[in-house]
Amino acid sequence: MSVEATKAVSEIKSEFAPLIVAFCCNWCSYAGADLAGTSRLNYTANVRIIRVPCSCRVNPYFVLRAFQRGADGVVIAGCHPGDCHYSTGNYFTRRRFSVFTNLLEYLGIEKDRFKVDWISAAEGNKFASVMNELLEKVHQLGPNRKLRDSRWKR
Amino acid sequence: MEKIAAKVREVAKQALASGAVTKILGWETGEFWYDASPVFITDEKAADSLIWDAFCVTNLSKYLIKELKTTQKIGVFLKGCDSLAFNQLLKDHRIDQEQVVIYGLPCPGMIDPEKVKKAGLHQGLLKVKRSGDELTFVTANGEKKVSSRSFDYDKCLRCRYPNPVVYQELIGEEIVRETSNEDRFADVSALENLSPEERYDYWTKQFSKCLRCNACRNVCPACSCEKCVFDNVAAGISGKATVDSEEQFFHIIRAYHVAGRCVDCGECSRVCPVGIPLHKLNHKIMKDMNELYGTYEAGVDGADKSPLVTYTLDDTDPFDGHRQGEK
Repeated sequence: MSVEATKAVSEIKSEFAPLIVAFCCNWCSYAGADLAGTSRLNYTANVRIIRVPCSCRVNPYFVLRAFQRGADGVVIAGCHPGDCHYSTGNYFTRRRFSVFTNLLEYLGIEKDRFKVDWISAAEGNKFASVMNELLEKVHQLGPNRKLRDSRWKR
Repeated sequence: MEKIAAKVREVAKQALASGAVTKILGWETGEFWYDASPVFITDEKAADSLIWDAFCVTNLSKYLIKELKTTQKIGVFLKGCDSLAFNQLLKDHRIDQEQVVIYGLPCPGMIDPEKVKKAGLHQGLLKVKRSGDELTFVTANGEKKVSSRSFDYDKCLRCRYPNPVVYQELIGEEIVRETSNEDRFADVSALENLSPEERYDYWTKQFSKCLRCNACRNVCPACSCEKCVFDNVAAGISGKATVDSEEQFFHIIRAYHVAGRCVDCGECSRVCPVGIPLHKLNHKIMKDMNELYGTYEAGVDGADKSPLVTYTLDDTDPFDGHRQGEK
């Protein structure tokens, strides 16, 4: 690579491109993301979706690991309370992550980087807007350095 | 306390002699003046080594998990906070009530050796005696009497259960003590009032001292999994590097794992060799659960469920404040 080209690449790299990790429930939110795609809705390309069977499958350490390994924002998306494919999963999600969000805040981590939301299979619009909103917030907060593993280069 | 200690030995001897139990779990004098180590006794002659003094702070409940696998019937001495832990272990199906005989000990509070050292009273110390709220430090040069309240563990000052909540036989009389009016979660509120940056600095500094010695994990009566997530090498959960993020990870997950089962015995902070105030994490979780889902205290009632393993349809929903695309 020529010197100019290397310089150009490093310039692009220095621009902050947030990484958002979204844990999407198989039955609602993942289908919601699918709908957003098939409806050709415009939403940020910085989202990496990880499909989980249910939002209550997400263990708090998934969230911490994501932050450690370079995520600037994490979303957990599940069915609306009452609509869970397994009847009750998202009620547990709601309790667990209410407490967990408070714990993260207590440790000094910005609350806005982490989000739980309910997105149904029919809400492609909501999926797009949730992701865009989080991106906006993360842009304001800047890169996440607090939980990041110092050995992790990106 | 000496009278009760004599009774402890007597009860132990009787129980072993009559064959009511095959083993007794209690405390014996350790190497240092502040040591009271847990001890298993099977021979009634050895029961004379049992003690009950101002330093019997070790929570004995946790030892039952392992011991009951090989022992049929065991007698154990439990203080107030230990009995909460015992109840919680019963609820988690870690131990069997049938195999245990509990001798309850009303606890006046235990003495924090660190506070004694700080006051400089440990020089040439031979013995510490306690009667009621009066402490006597016996040295070669004479005796010194002080009030015990300024040397009690912080957790004992906050204690709301000086008497065991479960026992077959109570040794000594129930202690009537006014529960302090001090806010139980004052330490959490103090941290909450700081800015996020200050909180982050505070916790990162605390966690960076961590040696990953796992003492907090080993001593905790709520931490009772047979196989710990942090031991599961194949899962890649536990990083061994001493970088901030691994330590943060360990402590957040540790605290969150015992959420709803922590009985607030304060053992984690006590055993930490580098003095990380771990109970402040557990306190925060307890405070939130109480505020969000109603009063719940682990170990007090054997029947109620921890807030995190149950739900109601109309729980507060902090997550539905979404601007667009409302359902």
